[in-house]
Amino acid sequence: METNDQIIQDITSQEYEFGFITDIEMDRAPVGLNEDTIRFISQKKNEPEWMLNWRLKGYEAFLRQDMPIWQNFKLPHINLQGISYYAAPKTKKKFNSLDEIDPELLATFEKLGIPLNEQKALSGVAVDAVFDSISVATTYKEKLSELGIIFCSFGEAVQEHPELVRKYVGSVVPHSDNIFASLNTAVFSDGSFVYIPKGVRCPMELSTYFRINAENTGQFERTLIIADEGSYVSYLEGCTAPMRDENQLHAAVVELIALEGAEIKYSTVQNWYPGDKEGRGGIYNFVTKRGVCRGANSKISWTQVETGSAITWKYPGVILQGDNSVGEFYSIAVTKNKQIADTGTKMFHIGRNTKSRIISKGISAGHSNNSYRGLVQVGPKAENARNFTQCDSLLLGSECSANTFPYIETKNNTAMVEHEATTSKIGEDQIFYLNQRGINTEKAVALIVNGYVKEVLNQLPMEFAVEAQKLLSITLEGSVG
Amino acid sequence: MTKQITIPLYEDLLNGFNNTSIHGENETIQEARRNGFESFKRLGFPTRKNEDWKYTGITPFLQEQYHINGIAKEAEISAALINQASIPSLDSYRLVLLNGQLQTPIDTLPDFIRVKSIREAKENVDLVKYFGKNTDVNSFHFAALNTALFSNGLFLEIDAKAILDKPLHIVHAFTATGNLFIQPRHLIVVHSNASLSVIETVVSENPLSKIFVNSLTEVVVEENACFDHYVMQIAQIGTRLVHQTDVSQKRHSVYSNYTFSMPKADLIRNNLHVSLDDDQTETHLYGLYLGEGQQLIDNHSFINHKRPNCNSNEIYKGVLLDKAVGVFNGKVFVQPDAQKTNAFQQNNNLLLSNKATINTKPQLEIFADDVKCSHGATVGQLSKDAMFYLRSRGIGEEAARALLVNAFAFDVTEKIKIPALEQHVNHLIAQHIPVNKN
Repeated sequence: METNDQIIQDITSQEYEFGFITDIEMDRAPVGLNEDTIRFISQKKNEPEWMLNWRLKGYEAFLRQDMPIWQNFKLPHINLQGISYYAAPKTKKKFNSLDEIDPELLATFEKLGIPLNEQKALSGVAVDAVFDSISVATTYKEKLSELGIIFCSFGEAVQEHPELVRKYVGSVVPHSDNIFASLNTAVFSDGSFVYIPKGVRCPMELSTYFRINAENTGQFERTLIIADEGSYVSYLEGCTAPMRDENQLHAAVVELIALEGAEIKYSTVQNWYPGDKEGRGGIYNFVTKRGVCRGANSKISWTQVETGSAITWKYPGVILQGDNSVGEFYSIAVTKNKQIADTGTKMFHIGRNTKSRIISKGISAGHSNNSYRGLVQVGPKAENARNFTQCDSLLLGSECSANTFPYIETKNNTAMVEHEATTSKIGEDQIFYLNQRGINTEKAVALIVNGYVKEVLNQLPMEFAVEAQKLLSITLEGSVG
Repeated sequence: MTKQITIPLYEDLLNGFNNTSIHGENETIQEARRNGFESFKRLGFPTRKNEDWKYTGITPFLQEQYHINGIAKEAEISAALINQASIPSLDSYRLVLLNGQLQTPIDTLPDFIRVKSIREAKENVDLVKYFGKNTDVNSFHFAALNTALFSNGLFLEIDAKAILDKPLHIVHAFTATGNLFIQPRHLIVVHSNASLSVIETVVSENPLSKIFVNSLTEVVVEENACFDHYVMQIAQIGTRLVHQTDVSQKRHSVYSNYTFSMPKADLIRNNLHVSLDDDQTETHLYGLYLGEGQQLIDNHSFINHKRPNCNSNEIYKGVLLDKAVGVFNGKVFVQPDAQKTNAFQQNNNLLLSNKATINTKPQLEIFADDVKCSHGATVGQLSKDAMFYLRSRGIGEEAARALLVNAFAFDVTEKIKIPALEQHVNHLIAQHIPVNKN
């Protein structure tokens, strides 16, 4: 077992590979949070008055709420007054081609292994690159606009499509939903906006790469995706952040709206700075993600691969309002060192014949703490609702923990709800079996882990699956060979 | 700290403690009472803000003006009440407690088993050794209250290496002429290598008065001992039961708990805590709850794996009719030391009415890596195919339904080691099913 111990040692001691700081001039708000900050942000972004009022409503709700206490970890003190709530790259002009973009910025993406140019040329992915809160480049926009698809930064959408934004923003995650969502409502800087018109199948994967860059800047993204009747869209979100010592708060809000017969697939690969071996530094990832299947026969699917952040705390959920609507949640959460993950999903069955499926795979190593927390709620009118939940945990090392908190609340006697969970380590017999066939222990572990998460990886779009696999292998390097 | 609810009862109880004479009790018990009291004063009654009471609002059950002063004296035990508890063709020893007070005369028991009221047994070495040791008064509101103000109860101990030839049937009867808040306290010690089987039956009369029972049973299963613990809760409307069982298991011991919560009682809340204090223990928790009317049945269990090589196995089944609400929360906690733990947990629920509700939350918290832990939870209804199969063979709808519910409960009922009791439980299930149509 000495090799295994060595492997575990290796994972525990992995340092963050994507840590570096890009030097770009910033235009930032004064440190601190008050009504003036909110007015400053709103003014900076040249927002209409209803937007400002909505922000202020969010701020009021934020002041009314206390920090939650129910989570399965100790919430570190976050000095919300010590954060600058707005930072934007100074260059404000619009680009027509990638050549005009700051080469240093492009180099940053290069280092991340996500060259925009290459992606544009090879994969056909339209990239809305969010570099510290403000969108600086949008590709393939023209091609998309031919189909009537709107894919732009949130700020742009507020300017150009105010009727859509006003109608849908805050309709899934209300301004008073939780303290971090309220904070986001008050101070969100930018984000992405997607609208797919009736009957249109978006021909390519839409993708946004997030990056937190300015020191001491909390990142408050707001994403709103609307799929009109009978449309389809697949959206990818991937994140990396440079290394630093101070904790950074990330409180994003993502809202998905699927109208009748529409389908939204939302995939996330999250690899923010997890802190060093002692758990110092690292991002606090407190995100509110929720989708609503508003019309009949609609479908929303969440897929997430969470490997980074000091604390990952989010529950992407689906409100299954329309009859026959479907909600899915696929998740891989890997924690090592002193990382904490408290993640899972919420499925609200409201309409008839609604179905949901939850597959969650947790891998914990080192001194980390990995929790699945999920809620499946079946309302009195959700005839024939069906849910299947499976959450498995894999423990690598004897000092980590894996927890499961599934809540099931059923008020309808025609509902079928199933939940199962297992926790174990990699079986010695499994490794033995592979050893016997000439596969060394490292490769065997890799094979087993790969098989273990395959069900979720398979859900990712091709381009992303490759990156996710790469991420997993970097994260678990040493144990997966 | 969670906010306390201020109800007159809370004040009454605080005053009640000041009026309770604890002089003459053993120093350990006095100390425990004081701790419990301080803790309760701080905690108060739980609200729904408290995670453990999220689905069970206790406040509506505490509104009545309860009589709380210690032991109700003049209550008479009726034959009808005892009859409710009787289990046909069961060969057993029997003890009767009325409102927590041991009734004399008691059946002649073998010498190796001793039964006393907990107040009389105050100087017993084992009582002093084990009393309050497994009860966490700092986090459990009702346990703190019980420790502070318990009236009386049972102290039962079986000698090392002794084996009781037939089950011991303990009838907990409750009756009152006014509203009564009563707090019995029991301690069962099974010494090393002993084997004991106990059936506890909780019954109450159906008066207009409300009876709130906050009982606490401590169980110690010593090395190599084996204890089968059956709990039948068949109390009547108007009765509210909050029952905590704190079990401590020593090396190589086997503890099996069977809890059957039957219809009628307004509220049943069970807290079953098993602490696996040493290596190589075996624990089985089986439960069946049958909710009817407006009943609220809440089963909380907590298995604390502290040491290596322990096995635990839990199966709870629920059947809910009418507007009944069922709650299940099973927590398995594996401490860093508890390598080679094997823990299994299952909760299945059958909703037989569209007004019934079930809230279930199986929970795993694992801090050791070389373990095998799994849990499963389901909510469903009777299969239409199965129903059709039976109906097409000439079985009436009611009979078919009863048959299927019995089959559903089979995983639990088949585990009962006393045939007469198994029959009785099946009979009770069948009795309640056909009456209800959706």
